[in-house]
Amino acid sequence: MGGRSRVAAQMLSGKGFKNVYNVAGGIKAWQSRTAVGPQDLGVDVFEGSDAPEDVLTVAYSLEQGLRAFYLTMGEKAENAEVKALFTKLSEIEVKHMESIVRTYQKLGHAQTTGDQFEGMAKKKAMEGGLTTEEYLDLFKPDLSSPVEVVSLAMSIEAQALDLYQRMGDRLSSEAARAVVLKIADEEKAHLASLGRLMESL
Amino acid sequence: MKWLQFLRPADSIDYQKTKEIIDDAGPDEVTILDVRQPNEYKNGHIPGAKLVPLPELPDRLLEIDREKPVLVY
Repeated sequence: MGGRSRVAAQMLSGKGFKNVYNVAGGIKAWQSRTAVGPQDLGVDVFEGSDAPEDVLTVAYSLEQGLRAFYLTMGEKAENAEVKALFTKLSEIEVKHMESIVRTYQKLGHAQTTGDQFEGMAKKKAMEGGLTTEEYLDLFKPDLSSPVEVVSLAMSIEAQALDLYQRMGDRLSSEAARAVVLKIADEEKAHLASLGRLMESL
Repeated sequence: MKWLQFLRPADSIDYQKTKEIIDDAGPDEVTILDVRQPNEYKNGHIPGAKLVPLPELPDRLLEIDREKPVLVY
């Protein structure tokens, strides 16, 4: 539900675990002993270029995506607590976007304005990917169920966290690595607060 | 806004295959990993499953045996 197990399985594979499987349908499939179709998808966008500039551009797109997701969820969520948390998270992603731009400027691109950088990120994002609507459609969360909405948010934050940790490992620029790892830490904190919210629902 | 597809492929297996892996290897030779929150685990879990909620997973990788198959749900 909400793709948490798939993200966890991906995390483990990414950290060198060899035999990792995502149990499709999770506990429900187990309890009802029914088969649920696999939910594989996606590509690794970081195969290939790992120039810090490219990594930062992708990171920026990712933050934009997270922000759009939280804004959409914040509007649609019916539970007041969920709504408030998503609004707060969307604001934090804006701060992440700003610090990514500042890092890019420090890497010898002092002349690049925030708008120009955003244009580059947009171009990059259009190369592939899903709209927020398509993403939601893929997982088909029940938007009236806070548990499902929060579960989906946790999957997305965990993916972002995993991505930043992998990015950080690949960056040779100390400054860029520090930024990416700091953002990773903050995404980890987001994930923890979503976990606490889940416990309270 | 378009999402970049940044997901890595991970093998998904159905109930039948899950059962096969556990039966073939023996329950002690596989890790069944529950990444949900503690209250969800309390409400029902696969017998023998180890609970590591997703938010804690990145910091608790050492607790998971790398030599054994890991079944995540």
